[in-house]
Amino acid sequence: MGQGVTKYVSLSLLRWVVLKLFNRHHSIIRDIGLFLPPRIRCLVQKLPAEFLEKTQELRLRHSRPLMLHWSDGEACLGHCGVVEKAKDAYIIRGEDLEKTLELISNHSLYAFEEELRQGYITLPGGHRVGLAGKTVVEKGTIKIISNISGLNIRFARQVKGTGERVLPFLVDRLSGRLYHTLIISPPQGGKTTMLRDLARLISDGSGILVQGKKVGIVDERSEIAGSFRGVPQLEVGMRSDVLDACPKAEGIMLMLRSLSPQVIVTDELGREADVEAVTEAMHCGVTVISSVHGSNLEELCRRPVLEKLLKNSYFERLVFLSSARGPGTLESIVEGERGLPLFSSHSKGE
Amino acid sequence: MIVKLMGAILIVFTAYCYGCSISSVYKNRVKRLEELLLSLEIFKAEINYGLSMLPEVFLSIGKKLHSPIGSLFRKSEIYMNKQEGFSAADCWLKSLTEMRKELELDEEQFTLLKKMGLIWGKGDKGDQLRQVALMQELLRQALKEAREEREKNEKMWRYLGLLGGCTIVILLL
Repeated sequence: MGQGVTKYVSLSLLRWVVLKLFNRHHSIIRDIGLFLPPRIRCLVQKLPAEFLEKTQELRLRHSRPLMLHWSDGEACLGHCGVVEKAKDAYIIRGEDLEKTLELISNHSLYAFEEELRQGYITLPGGHRVGLAGKTVVEKGTIKIISNISGLNIRFARQVKGTGERVLPFLVDRLSGRLYHTLIISPPQGGKTTMLRDLARLISDGSGILVQGKKVGIVDERSEIAGSFRGVPQLEVGMRSDVLDACPKAEGIMLMLRSLSPQVIVTDELGREADVEAVTEAMHCGVTVISSVHGSNLEELCRRPVLEKLLKNSYFERLVFLSSARGPGTLESIVEGERGLPLFSSHSKGE
Repeated sequence: MIVKLMGAILIVFTAYCYGCSISSVYKNRVKRLEELLLSLEIFKAEINYGLSMLPEVFLSIGKKLHSPIGSLFRKSEIYMNKQEGFSAADCWLKSLTEMRKELELDEEQFTLLKKMGLIWGKGDKGDQLRQVALMQELLRQALKEAREEREKNEKMWRYLGLLGGCTIVILLL
């Protein structure tokens, strides 16, 4: 009797796990597949689940093999699935790129001029397509990218729970105030995923933060909320407002003026104007959570734009991430003013 | 005698109707080309001011034009929204082939409509508007020729039908 129950429970559990994984990967492929020409769609849909699970990017480059990329590897894709030699892979033709671009733009390339200028288009589901090609420059700025020669389809995967480990270090336990926080990692280190999850946790209220806060997300590159036509496609919390495709500096000021946020979340600070807007927000009593590319504090201090922010200890918490054990590996959390380590993966023996 | 008279009237009437149906083809061709020009005007307005997506523009044109041209746009919009991976040109061509009979266009006009499919959704706004302007020019030329054809043939086919009917009746009598 007992054995039967155990068997039933374990089988149900296994079924649930399989269904969850199957549905998750298939919904991503279903989303992406709609924007691929039939020939490539067919190849991608035949991929085994083990590849779908880890794939981060699908690369289409003119006259070169169709490729898949993940955090620590890559593979070429051919008619028989994943192939070892590049010569056996499916070679992308100009017609494939043209059709993909047409499907991505919903047959309306004319409506995506701004996106073509910025070099990316966001798809429903938050997936992003980066564009490579010939740039047309007018008055020193890129007017449009024409003659598209390469497409990079980045799969958006929301990893819920990454912020749960970090959030307790970002809250003042006495007053319940959130600290100004800067997330630092090299590219593909999981900064945006962490920002998104923190925004969700802060907005909905979680653990140490019983009451959720109003969060304003200034999403210049549509990466945090993965908005499609202004509507967030990824979960960013019930009290979050998103300014999509809005320059950070203008967006932060707009948020302060009209949306009364308690927390502003924005990614990749890099320009002088961004830093000014962030300090303005901090002086208005709004908590700022942001991110920058980098691997350590010394490296960041060498960047003139960030030097002011870091030397004046505007950020009270610095969170370091890496992709040492997969994207989003939490390396350390440091107190901004005195540089005291609050958490270190090495001291925890991880 | 009455039966003969009735028969003669029937023959003349049928022949006249046949002539009218052929002449209406010329009339309809002009109408279709005028509607196509109108649809391009709607298209221009939609992408200039609204930046609407192509399927939405097609739906809007389809709703405004209650004719085979409207149906052509609606059909293409349905194919595009099926998201089977086909381009706008493929969807347009598929709808066009299905509606060939209803459109009542001659070979030259049909080829022009096929070419029209190649402009949808190609290039940025400037490119798109330039291509639409070029297509409008070609359609205007086709419309001018279609009007001349109508002038020549519309009345002729109607009279020809009537006279043909009369000739048959005389021969039979």
